[in-house]
Amino acid sequence: MKKTLLMSAAALAFASVASAQVKVGNPMAVTGPIPDLVAPMVDAVNLAVAHVNEQGGVLGQEYVMVAADSGCDPAAAVDAVTKLVNVDQVSALIGPVCSGATIAQATSVAIPAGVVTLSVSASSPAISTLEEGTDLVFRTAASDAYQGVALAELAMASGISDIAVSYAQDDYNAALAAVFAEAFAGMGGTVTANEAHEPDKASYRSEVATMGSTSDNLALFAYYGSGGITLMRNALETGAFSTFIGADGMLAQETIDQIGAENMGNATFTTSASDPTRNAFVAWSALADAAGVPASDPFVANSYDAAFMMALAIEAAGSADRDAIAAGLRAISGPDGETILPGEFAKAKEILAAGGSINYDGGSGPQDFDANGDVAGFFSSNVVVDGSWSATLLK
Amino acid sequence: MWDAFGFEFINFYLIPGLVLGCIYALGAIGITLTFGILRFANFAHGEVMMSSAYLTYTFMALAASFGLSLVPLVAAIPAAVLTIAIALLIDHFFYRPFRKSETIIIVMASFGMMLMVRALVPVIWGPNQITFVRGITPMKPYLDGMLLVQDKQWLIVIGTVVVMTLFSLLMNFTRIGKAMRAVSDSPDLARVTGINVETVIRATWIIGGFCAAVAGVFLAMNTQQLSVTMGFRMLLPMFAAAILGGIGRPVGAIVGGMVIGLAEELIAYPWQAAVMQLVWWFSEVINASGMTDWAKAVHKQMRGTPLLSPGYKAGVAFGIMVIMLIVRPAGLFKGRVF
Amino acid sequence: MFEWLLSDQMVGNMLYVNSLLLMGGIYALMCLGLNVQWGFTGLFNAGIAGFAAVGAYTYAILTTFASGMHVGGFELPIWVGMLAAMIASGIIALGIGAICIRLRADYLAIATIGIAEIIKLILKNETPVTNGPRGVAKIPRSWEHLADARVAEKFPWRLFGEPTAYEGFFKAWYPLLFMLTVVGFVLLVFLALEIARKSPWGRVMTAIRENEAAARAAGKNVTRLRIESFVVGAVIIGLAGAFYAQQLRFIEPTNAFDPTKMTFLVWVMLIMGGSGNNRGAVLGGLMLWVIWSGTELVIRFGANVIGDVFTDLSPSVLVTKASFLRLFLIGLILQFVLQRFPKGILPEVRPAALGRRTNKVRD
Repeated sequence: MKKTLLMSAAALAFASVASAQVKVGNPMAVTGPIPDLVAPMVDAVNLAVAHVNEQGGVLGQEYVMVAADSGCDPAAAVDAVTKLVNVDQVSALIGPVCSGATIAQATSVAIPAGVVTLSVSASSPAISTLEEGTDLVFRTAASDAYQGVALAELAMASGISDIAVSYAQDDYNAALAAVFAEAFAGMGGTVTANEAHEPDKASYRSEVATMGSTSDNLALFAYYGSGGITLMRNALETGAFSTFIGADGMLAQETIDQIGAENMGNATFTTSASDPTRNAFVAWSALADAAGVPASDPFVANSYDAAFMMALAIEAAGSADRDAIAAGLRAISGPDGETILPGEFAKAKEILAAGGSINYDGGSGPQDFDANGDVAGFFSSNVVVDGSWSATLLK
Repeated sequence: MWDAFGFEFINFYLIPGLVLGCIYALGAIGITLTFGILRFANFAHGEVMMSSAYLTYTFMALAASFGLSLVPLVAAIPAAVLTIAIALLIDHFFYRPFRKSETIIIVMASFGMMLMVRALVPVIWGPNQITFVRGITPMKPYLDGMLLVQDKQWLIVIGTVVVMTLFSLLMNFTRIGKAMRAVSDSPDLARVTGINVETVIRATWIIGGFCAAVAGVFLAMNTQQLSVTMGFRMLLPMFAAAILGGIGRPVGAIVGGMVIGLAEELIAYPWQAAVMQLVWWFSEVINASGMTDWAKAVHKQMRGTPLLSPGYKAGVAFGIMVIMLIVRPAGLFKGRVF
Repeated sequence: MFEWLLSDQMVGNMLYVNSLLLMGGIYALMCLGLNVQWGFTGLFNAGIAGFAAVGAYTYAILTTFASGMHVGGFELPIWVGMLAAMIASGIIALGIGAICIRLRADYLAIATIGIAEIIKLILKNETPVTNGPRGVAKIPRSWEHLADARVAEKFPWRLFGEPTAYEGFFKAWYPLLFMLTVVGFVLLVFLALEIARKSPWGRVMTAIRENEAAARAAGKNVTRLRIESFVVGAVIIGLAGAFYAQQLRFIEPTNAFDPTKMTFLVWVMLIMGGSGNNRGAVLGGLMLWVIWSGTELVIRFGANVIGDVFTDLSPSVLVTKASFLRLFLIGLILQFVLQRFPKGILPEVRPAALGRRTNKVRD
């Protein structure tokens, strides 16, 4: 016991020795229900940090990401962010993964302390109106309110008139399913069944059989690692559904590897725009491939963009003070200014040093923040071609 | 036309329910044995199942690196041996010091064990999904294509029956089996009659660990997926199964597991539509065409509506368990009440 | 010369200590509640997360402003919300107690786990009432809420003049005030339970725990007393749940009330501290929370050192492994404490029998 306390004291002492570093907190849901989804996101954040440091660092100092574990859990996130904000004295936060954890840490710790949260994947519409007169919560992932509608449009465009909806009962998927079902019905489609399912169950055969009697099309909202793959596999095995659509919770190479490309001919999933022809995406995907990071996995590009934009924002603000960062983020996210692509930190630095303005264009989208700190929704539809995902931008 | 009484019920609800029930039953045997003989609720039991699945995967991967391809069941043999060894080691280091302590202490120790195993597995194998076999397993047609069963479903059901048969032979016709039942009924009396309680405890871990290892592999085969929480998510339904059958009664655990497994799958069946189909047939018999039309319309509308929202699936086992505890705490097979 | 005391780093460290006392205090309250049930009477309640969730949701729904996402907009004062949280948790406990209390130790544990999971499923699936898995946000926190203009307009706060006069004070000092409030409640509950433990009521509870048959033979209405103890414990846990909701300012049913991090953690705290001993309950709650939270700093420090030495290791792999190792470490600490201090760090001290018999012992 004594030893533990001594070690904590040592850690506190260590944390208080601040050298020439710009410290940003990174409370990701490393443990908790979706560790498999988060691991590549952490890699992407670290890749951005490496790129920034290779190109001279922020304000000439080392860009340091202080990692913590928010466990997708409001209580753990509040605790982790309390430590980051107070003990580690970070300048800003590259946010927690899950919407619930993001809301809790922002309202409980970050907003009262005046620290900017830049979330990488929190998509709940509730986050738009969280700030109560401050400008401290941003996100690089689009609100569900956009993606659900985009998916409904895609379904209508591909000639689906009736569809069954199955969603995992968690904050992300339940919200998305609600938006989708409303939008789809509003466009004249028929939602034949709309049921929640418990994530991570061993079998979903009975659920899919029941819903499969009403339609051949399934809108599936789930994390691939928390029951999504199992549900889709059960649906294919029982022949309950032939066509699948869904959102980025399912979009991972893992899904193809586990279910088999030959079985995924009629599966289309949307994700935040990763138009493969855009320069920004090409640049991002080249960087990601070189580092062995899965470029198109859910929220991986958003994670890189968030970490990279935070460095740009601090550089643009000219200081790592907490008060300056919100303005810095707005300054570098455009839409005016010279375009900066993923990885181009040195170029951005030069332009800023010369007094110019920049506009970051990320692998996950143009990343222009609106008044609420949200980004607009540009989405791509993804189908399996030759054993991997192939994206087409939705207009 | 969708038919509430067709083979769909068997193919998509009854058989998956039975398969799930088999897995629950195998897991519940270990729980009921530790409950009966060591007298504590072992919270780490799900982790034993999970470890055996990961070990099986490791042996498959090892064999693959030597160019051999093993089916999961073969790789499960060394994995089960290793799982049993781990169970015995855990008992030696973490449960044995508490033999004379209060129950709560050993329950806490098993809880701590659960945390440790669950934390260690992602450190060793990483947090990513793994699976024994990729792709989907087709359902093979029987009886002119009416009955659809997957090979793995046969395997799991038959495998469970074999393990259960061996188990009941062991419990009823061997010295150690009889000793185990004696300790379960009354440890003091058993000790007086010269039964070596430590040997019985070792046997409990070996048998319970073996059943858990098989259950873990079957679970991973059925879901085609291994995850760190796979054991824990089965734990509470398995407790429910053990209580339902009666603590210390392996037969009860088997029946309890089947009931829970079937109930979980059957609540998603559109029972309302099935009732409407009966009304519709009945109205055709009595020639009430208005009623027929109404019943048909409701039937069509309700056929996609499960009896209970699948969001409540996890609650079914608990509901059954709580009702059982209130109505008949000794369980279906008159287990021990503490 | 004392400027270093006011440096950002020192203020930050103090705020962290403040948050440790705050969360530790909330857990200490839960431990005290559990101690009434288990330590006094021997009731194995494994549904702590369920009672805390009932308390937290009751508080959240009664006190929040209208959000359009869940039932709400009642905007009741904080103390009303907390009282309601205690009452709601008590009523649920009464219902559960009436049907389950006759079950013995492990059975009661499993029944309460099951009921707690059912409560969570209801909170999760009844979306129109609770906003389902998306949770309830912007829950008012004690003292901090006084800086909210919407609260300042209300009676009695509007009597204190324009909010601008005092909102700065509450914005700056609410962490300390809120922590003191929680610690004050811990002390209050602790003193009340100490009195209860030494009272005839408390001694009957010990009698039931130690030898129920004897207590029954002595003419005690054991069932009723057991239900009383169960309800009292649940009321305290409900209060802790309300504080928990205030501190997080956001609750959702799945992860915030995860049984591993709530029910079992509280059990470990109580057993570590010393069940049956109210001091032990408070100590266990505070100490384990400090360990639970502090290990992250220790592990991070360790990961940094390892990362500096072995530069070819991927940082994300290290972070992932370190976070899981932290859970492993906590499990190991638990095993160590259980083996080293099987009766807890502060074992139960039986109240000495009073010299004279009193007539106040209830039936």
